[in-house]
Amino acid sequence: MIAKLLILLARAWQIGPSAILPPSCRYQPSCSAYAIEALRRYGALKGSWLAAKRIARCHPWGGHGYDPVP
Amino acid sequence: MKEEQKNLIIFGVLAAFILFAWTPIMHYFMPPATNPAPVVEQGEIVTPAQDQADPAADTATAIRDRTIVLGETPRVRIDTPSLSGSINLKGARIDDLVLKEYKETVEKDSPPIRLLSPSGTEGAYFAGFGWRGTGVTAPAADTLWQASGDLLAPGKPVTLTATNGSQRYRIDLSVDQDYMFTVRQTVQNAGGTPIAVKPFGYVSRRGKSTDQDLWVAHVGPIAVADAVADYVDYKTIEKEPSTYDTTGGWAGFSDHYWQTALVPDQGVPVSLKLRSGGNDQYQADYEARDAVQVAPGEQVVQTSRFFAGAKETRLIDSYEENLKIVEFDKMIDWGWFGIVEKPIFYYLDWLFRMVSNFGVAIILLTITIRLLLFPIAHKQFQSMASMRAVQPKMKALQERYKEDKPKLQQEMMKLYKEEKVNPLAGCLPMFLQIPIMFALYKVLILTIEMRHQPFILWIRDLSAPDPLTPMNLFGLIAWDPPGFLHIGVVPILLGVSMFFQIRLNPAPMDDMQKQIFSIMPWVLMFMMAPFAVGLQIYWITSNLLTIAQQTWLYSRHPQLKTKPAG
Repeated sequence: MIAKLLILLARAWQIGPSAILPPSCRYQPSCSAYAIEALRRYGALKGSWLAAKRIARCHPWGGHGYDPVP
Repeated sequence: MKEEQKNLIIFGVLAAFILFAWTPIMHYFMPPATNPAPVVEQGEIVTPAQDQADPAADTATAIRDRTIVLGETPRVRIDTPSLSGSINLKGARIDDLVLKEYKETVEKDSPPIRLLSPSGTEGAYFAGFGWRGTGVTAPAADTLWQASGDLLAPGKPVTLTATNGSQRYRIDLSVDQDYMFTVRQTVQNAGGTPIAVKPFGYVSRRGKSTDQDLWVAHVGPIAVADAVADYVDYKTIEKEPSTYDTTGGWAGFSDHYWQTALVPDQGVPVSLKLRSGGNDQYQADYEARDAVQVAPGEQVVQTSRFFAGAKETRLIDSYEENLKIVEFDKMIDWGWFGIVEKPIFYYLDWLFRMVSNFGVAIILLTITIRLLLFPIAHKQFQSMASMRAVQPKMKALQERYKEDKPKLQQEMMKLYKEEKVNPLAGCLPMFLQIPIMFALYKVLILTIEMRHQPFILWIRDLSAPDPLTPMNLFGLIAWDPPGFLHIGVVPILLGVSMFFQIRLNPAPMDDMQKQIFSIMPWVLMFMMAPFAVGLQIYWITSNLLTIAQQTWLYSRHPQLKTKPAG
C-alpha cells in the first residue's frame, strides 16, 4: 500500500519535474526507475532504503554506469 | 511531428494552468507578504457566552471605545522596555498591552502593535488567572482586587490581593525586560474547614487573527503537550474543544509574528484546553489536574508564566533554555526542518548584526550558500572538460545509433564507464539543494527580524512586496493595479536575471524544454511578484552568482563554449 504510494510519487517525479529538468542521470537505470523497481520487488521499507542509497551515490564524485536493482 | 504537437498542447495547457491557478494555489499554501495589520474585529453586537464551564467567558455585549473601557476600572500600569499597558484590577486581567518596539506600519508616526485589549473593545484579547475548587468561593470576573503598587515594571513586582469568604487570594505578578510575566498564585485558607483548589489560567480572544494561516507558517491556536506541538485550526476548535493532559507544555495563540502563551508550572500535571465559546470567541487555558487540599490556616502556592509579545527567535530559544519550558521554540513554526532552518537563521541574524542592513545580510547569506555549493558545479565542469577527450568516439556512437535512442543511451553509458568520465551531476546535488532553498525560504517567511527592515532606495520593508511598479508609472498615475498586475521593479529584475541565467545554460536538446525555458523567467516573475522583497533579493543574488560562476568556469575551460555532446 505504502509502496504503491511511493511508486506513484516516483512516477509523478518522472513525468513532472524530471521531464523539464536537464538530463542528469549518471546511472542506468535512472534513480526514479531504480526506485520504482526496488519498491515493487522489495516493498516500502527495503525498497525505500535501496532507493535512498542509490540517490546517495548519484553525485559528481559517485559512480556511474549500469547499476540495476540487486 | 505528431509527438511534438502533442507536447506543445500539453505544454500550453500546463502553462495556462500555472498562470491562472497559481494565485489561488499560492494563497492556500504560501504567503503573500504578511499583513502587518493589527487584529480587527467586526463591530457587531455579541451575546454573552453561555458556557458556564468556561473558566472565563467574555461577557461584553457590545463593542465600545477602548479609552472609555480602560478608564472605567482601576488599573495597574505596565511599563517595561518592550511593553506598555495595564492590568485590570477588576477580574485581575492582563488586558491592555502594546509592543513598544514594533509598529503597525513603516510610517514614522505609526502606532505600536496592540496585542491585548480589554473585553468589550475592538480586538478583545486578554489573559487572567484564578482558582476553582470545592468549599470555596473563588474570585470571579467582577472581583475587585487590591494592588500593592500602581506600576508593574522589571524589578518592580506587584501583588494583587482579594478576600472572598474566609479565603485570602493573592497573585504576585512580575515581568522581565522582554515579554514574560511570572504569575505566583497563593490561596490562604483562613476558614475553619479544609478546602480543595485547582489553579487555572486562560487567554481569551475575540476574533481570529487577520494574518493568514499558511502551509509554511501556522497562525492559530497552539498547544504543546508531551513534548509535541499541536498546531490547531480555529475551525477545528469551533467544532470541538481540543484537550491535552500533560506535565510540562503550554498553550496559546499564534499570529504570524505575535504570540500569547500560558505556561503552567512545568512539573505539575495539567490539562490544557483550546476551545471556542461561539460568537467568534476563542480561549486557551490550563487547569491543574489534581486539586490541592488546603487545611485551615495553611496556604498553597503555584507559579506559572504568561508570554505576550513578538516571536523573536533568540529570545524564545533563551526562554526555552533558561526557564525550562518544554518545546517553547515551537511557537515559531519551523516544522520538521528546524535542524536546517535554525542554523541558517542564526547565521543570517549574525550577518545582520555585523552589517546592520537586512538586505545586505540576505545577499551575504546567499553568497555563503553558493560558495558551499560551488565544488559541485566546479567538479561538473571538470568532468565536462575531460569529456572533450572522448568526443570523437561519442560522435561515432551518435552516428551509429541515430535511430535507436535507448541503445544510444546504453552505449554512451558504456563509453563513460570505459573512459572513466561522466559529465552529469546526478540527482543528489539537486536533492541536496532543494532542502537548503526551502529552509532559506522558510527562514525569510518566519523571521520577525526581517519585518519592517529597509534595504536601499525605495525598499522600506523587506517583508512586504515591492511597492513600486511601472504599471502605474511608479505611482505617477493614481491607479492601483489589480493584484496579479502589480509587478514591482524588483520582481522585474528577478525575471531579467533569470532570463540571462537560463541563456547561459547549455541549450536543451528537446523542443519542449526549450520553450519551457524561454517563458519560465517571465512566468516566475509574475509568480514571485506578490512575495516579500527579501525573498526576491535572495533569488536575484542567486541568479547573478550563477551567471558569474558559469562565466568564470567557461573562461577557465574555453573549449566548453561549444555545446558538449550528451
